[in-house]
Amino acid sequence: MSFFRITLHRSGIGLPHRTRGVLRALGLKKRNQVVFHPAEPQFAGMIMKVKELVKVEEVPRALTRDEVKAERTPDPGFWVERMVPR
Amino acid sequence: MFSLGPFRPTSSLSGGLLWKIPWRMSKHQKRRQRLRLKAVDNVVDTITKALAKRGDKLPDQIQRWNEEMPKENEMVARDKYTMFDRKVEKTYRKGIHKLPKWTRVSQRINPPGY
Repeated sequence: MSFFRITLHRSGIGLPHRTRGVLRALGLKKRNQVVFHPAEPQFAGMIMKVKELVKVEEVPRALTRDEVKAERTPDPGFWVERMVPR
Repeated sequence: MFSLGPFRPTSSLSGGLLWKIPWRMSKHQKRRQRLRLKAVDNVVDTITKALAKRGDKLPDQIQRWNEEMPKENEMVARDKYTMFDRKVEKTYRKGIHKLPKWTRVSQRINPPGY
């Protein structure tokens, strides 16, 4: 089973209520937010309504929120070394 | 006349707020427009392929889009950057950047006969 990875790229501000309602139904509130939905016709139809606003990829599994966050967290560039307990 | 002094009435001075939209798009606006068209093509392509892989029947709106809408590379420049407008004499075309929310709506084809 594959998933659509949907990123809100353009905001829905100023667009018709129906369009913004579709964004809400997809669970998209903020720009650059990422949601996952199963690759099924009903979600394809919803994406079709907001195709100018989103970026879509097909991925094999849905990531959790933490995984999405880890994906965009940059490498800190340092690590803390601890003393070896004696 | 009052228009000969240093402070001449321009359309914005005499009327207050004035917004002007240039009659044609810059080459950079056109480039971004092409990128947006390609991005939409990409989205439709992705969902079409995903559903085809499952063997589902395509929803009507996606099927119609694929049949009726030209892709970015199939469109002529006239359709990418201008749109039909009955108010314009002679050409019946205006720049697509005059369309409200033009960066977030799809406008690709002409009414029948134009």
